[in-house]
Amino acid sequence: MSLLALSGVGKRFGALSALSNVSFEVEEGAIFGIIGPNGAGKSTLFNLLTAIYRFDEGSISVGGVSIAGLSTQRIARLGVARTFQNLRLFGNASALANVMVGEHLILGSTIFDSLLNTGKERRERAEAERRARELLRFVGISGVEEQFARNLPYGTQRRLEIARALAARPRLLLLDEPAAGLNPSEKHELISLIRAIRDAGTTVLLIEHDMGLVMNLCERIVVLDYGEMIAEGAPQEIREHPRVIEAYLGAPA
Amino acid sequence: MHEFLAQLANGVELGAIYALIALGYTLVYGILELINFAHGDVYTFGSFVALGILVGLRAAGALHGAGLVLGITAALVAAILASALLNAGIERLAYRRLRKAPRLAPLITAIGVSFILENLIELWQGSAPVPFPNVIPNPQLQFGELEVGVQQIVVVALAIVTMVALHFFVQRSKLGKAMRAVAQDRDAASLVGINVDRTIAMTFLIAGALAGVAGFVGGVSFGSAWFLNGFGAGLRAFTAAVLGGIGNIAGAMLGGFLIGLLESFSTWLIGGQWSNVAVFSVLILVLVFRPSGLLGETLPEKV
Amino acid sequence: MIYTYALVAIAACVAIERFHNRRAKTTIVLVLAVFLAVAPRFYGNDAVFSVLADAAVYVMLALGLNIVVGFAGLLDLGYAAFFAIGAYTYGMLASPQFGLHLPFWVLLFLAAALAALFGALLGAPTLRLHGDYLAIVTLGFGEIVPQIFQNLTKYTGGPNGIAALDVPTFFGHSFGASVMPYYYIALFGIAAALWLSRNLRESRLGRAWMAIREDELAAKHAGIDILRSKLAAFAIGASFSGIGGVLFAAKLALVSPDLFGFQVSVLIVSMLVLGGMGNIVGVVVGSLLLTIVNSALLPQINSLVDATFHTTVDLSNLHFLIYGAILVGIMLFRPEGLLPNRERRAELHHAGEAAADA
Repeated sequence: MSLLALSGVGKRFGALSALSNVSFEVEEGAIFGIIGPNGAGKSTLFNLLTAIYRFDEGSISVGGVSIAGLSTQRIARLGVARTFQNLRLFGNASALANVMVGEHLILGSTIFDSLLNTGKERRERAEAERRARELLRFVGISGVEEQFARNLPYGTQRRLEIARALAARPRLLLLDEPAAGLNPSEKHELISLIRAIRDAGTTVLLIEHDMGLVMNLCERIVVLDYGEMIAEGAPQEIREHPRVIEAYLGAPA
Repeated sequence: MHEFLAQLANGVELGAIYALIALGYTLVYGILELINFAHGDVYTFGSFVALGILVGLRAAGALHGAGLVLGITAALVAAILASALLNAGIERLAYRRLRKAPRLAPLITAIGVSFILENLIELWQGSAPVPFPNVIPNPQLQFGELEVGVQQIVVVALAIVTMVALHFFVQRSKLGKAMRAVAQDRDAASLVGINVDRTIAMTFLIAGALAGVAGFVGGVSFGSAWFLNGFGAGLRAFTAAVLGGIGNIAGAMLGGFLIGLLESFSTWLIGGQWSNVAVFSVLILVLVFRPSGLLGETLPEKV
Repeated sequence: MIYTYALVAIAACVAIERFHNRRAKTTIVLVLAVFLAVAPRFYGNDAVFSVLADAAVYVMLALGLNIVVGFAGLLDLGYAAFFAIGAYTYGMLASPQFGLHLPFWVLLFLAAALAALFGALLGAPTLRLHGDYLAIVTLGFGEIVPQIFQNLTKYTGGPNGIAALDVPTFFGHSFGASVMPYYYIALFGIAAALWLSRNLRESRLGRAWMAIREDELAAKHAGIDILRSKLAAFAIGASFSGIGGVLFAAKLALVSPDLFGFQVSVLIVSMLVLGGMGNIVGVVVGSLLLTIVNSALLPQINSLVDATFHTTVDLSNLHFLIYGAILVGIMLFRPEGLLPNRERRAELHHAGEAAADA
């Protein structure tokens, strides 16, 4: 059974159809890419997956559970974590604190543990901090633990956001243009990072503009154009797909 | 029936005053997303300025015949000017430098300004209500079962004329168009050459002027001015603005009249001591169940 | 005399903020605690400790509101309502009003629970609202509650309130007319409030509040239950206020609706703003400073003015001016307050600090 399954998904804003009849499945352990020109509906799709918007048609399921009507928070509980196109870090908190917030769901202390600083709370906090440091190391930015997220360089912020998302130990990680604004060497490191994430057992679904990166990294790709799915397949198939070539003609990536 | 009509007239009169104040909240909120908490005190200030002029003129024996009309006009104009300048001054000194501050900062500042104004007015005029000179003749007119005073008619008429003028001003004039543009998108407005600072300052000036009109008619209508009047009236007017749909001019007028009627009828039916509870319950209910108000539109959150 | 105590406490707070060594901090706290506990045997009188006990109640209130405003970032302008609920809990259940004379100690907890319950009841429908709207709804609630107490004359004594409240006892010993028991209880209350505040700030829940304050949408994506976390902030904050209310009512032996108006809510917000929202120690300093100005400095200046100029001016009505000036002045010139915490300082000096770091 696939981890993420979309079937006939559609979304309209008033008279405007942002997405229509989108269907694809993401297998567990995949690195899956969504590409398409600007305004193709890629971000809208992510926003449907985390219930920022509600979809009007079709069905979406994560691990076999339908997410129709579920809140953002409930979907997070199903094991979906994400990053944002325009970074949404907790800018005035330390990098470490950012990642520790990401661990919220895997901690179990209650309000009373928090109030009374019980043994459980203290143990969990120590554990959470240790894991957070480890994650910062994993994404390659150890040393910034105590710095405010806002003051970090852009590339570091991107990685910090990935670390925060990973902190919840998601089954499915949604990356919204993770390479945007990175220089070539940073992009190169990003590719290895995403592979390492997948190898550690997290399925990755990413939106990206950088065609080279997507072709290099993803095992399967869906192409959106004007809210419609015009192709799905392995990188080689996508590269040769006539409708994809047509869509990107005049706007080569 | 007689009592019902009397309360109806009462509510409309109150509502006219609240609507005038509510317009000030709505204009400012529309453009800055700021609840100008000091707005109620700008209204109080207008009341006291009008009161001062009338008392002075009466003491000078100038309120007879044509002098009466002139005197009343002078008091009204003075209240408008004073409130407008005060409101614009507050914007310039306190709010302008907070435009990029975190969201709670301007509101906290506005509350501070309100407290300062209230205290200064108290130091100036004392802590007891000051009677408003009873200069406008108030013969009662009978329309069937409905009995209304000339004062009530003047109050409501003045309020309605002001609101109609405001409506046309915002819809038609260049400044009005600039105000609407800045309200929609400040950056875009400044890109097309609109002077944002000036437009915001003018908005405060106009909102203050409306509070000045309200200060005058409120003084006439309540027969007194009090340093804390603006707090209660301001909250009612803000409720009115929210009820109508904040940022929406027609909504503020509608909300004002509805809150005026609510107050007069709740006072009549369940007693004046419950009118605060009634008004604030409406505020809470509207915000919880229809935060966009009666005439407002809901906008989805931007991501 | 009162200044001695206040200054010692404030100096200790500043020192705690400046030292980064954990042991040094602990030492200062212990020394201060011993000083505040023992010094009254040698130095001071009832009038002084009466003011200090009041100050301590306000510190508790400010710490409670700090959880709502400083930690969770929700501006509550009706916080005095919970203070009223606490005070009336004592007023109605430990007085001749209904002939009920429940023990003070039981009522402390009952009031905390009731205030928390009302906090949750108000919060449940309204916490979806953002920023200014929430502030105004809480303001409305703050206006309604004392009004209801005033109107339900049959139960609450109406505008006159309830007088002749029971004098609390401690294992059979009546507090009598002494203010010292209130002073010590309030000190203990502050200690507890400080401990709880610190626990919360460092906890899973505290991190969730930080996330909500910083970016609600991102917090949601981390799986944080926004409504539940906000409700917890409201309820816990309210419970501090409820306990403060019982202490306040018992010491005054009186409750009346005019003690809990909007001014009280704004006073407490001013304490937070002055000291630095979100920073526990800063909030303590802010509330001490304001209480001392209100109940010691202003009256003294007043009598000095009267004695010098043979006048009978009343400076007590300058309170509002002072709160207002604090709110405006701090927001314009030092928005992080006198003793800010790291996060808030950064938040409020966004541009400046980023430039300095670059």
